[in-house]
Amino acid sequence: MRRLIRLAILLGLVAWVWRRIAGPSGPPERAGVSYADGSSVVLEPGSPGFERLAAIARPALRQ
Amino acid sequence: MDAAQAIRELMELSSQIDVAVVLGEDGSVVASSSEDEAASGALASTAVELVGAASDLGAEPDVSRVEIELEEGALFVVREGGATVAARTGPEPTSGLVIYDLRTCLRSIDEAPKKKRASRANSAPKKEKEKGKEGDA
Repeated sequence: MRRLIRLAILLGLVAWVWRRIAGPSGPPERAGVSYADGSSVVLEPGSPGFERLAAIARPALRQ
Repeated sequence: MDAAQAIRELMELSSQIDVAVVLGEDGSVVASSSEDEAASGALASTAVELVGAASDLGAEPDVSRVEIELEEGALFVVREGGATVAARTGPEPTSGLVIYDLRTCLRSIDEAPKKKRASRANSAPKKEKEKGKEGDA
């Protein structure tokens, strides 16, 4: 039983360390657009819409 | 309230916003929090471009809000009643709060002309009544 608990703790620690090392670094990127009719779109990084908006926004953010 | 005063209040209200501009219907800068005209103009043109690109993304062409958060920072554009306000923040802003502050800024600009119109509408019949009274005399 003790061995099982130790194994579970060890696995938990390994998973936590792995997520710290291999997890996404920096703040998450996202974009959203709302329209006058009440509809809205959330754009995830990698989507063509997101990349288009990001390409427009980046120069203004680097100033 | 005029646009310059609204921008000043916005900057006092929000600690997250670095630069903010109010744009007219033609995309020109009406008021800015920055004294640097080039920076204000760049933010305004970026806002116009973002709105143009966003209107191409959806079925509805009338965009009311665009927000984009990147590692470098975030840009917000809010449109209401023909007026537009755009703001730049640092990374990881509290977007709901920034949007709320931008909407408050736009509405405070709108309120002044509405109040004037309302007061004019209220005063117009009085003048007619006065004229009527003068005519009677």
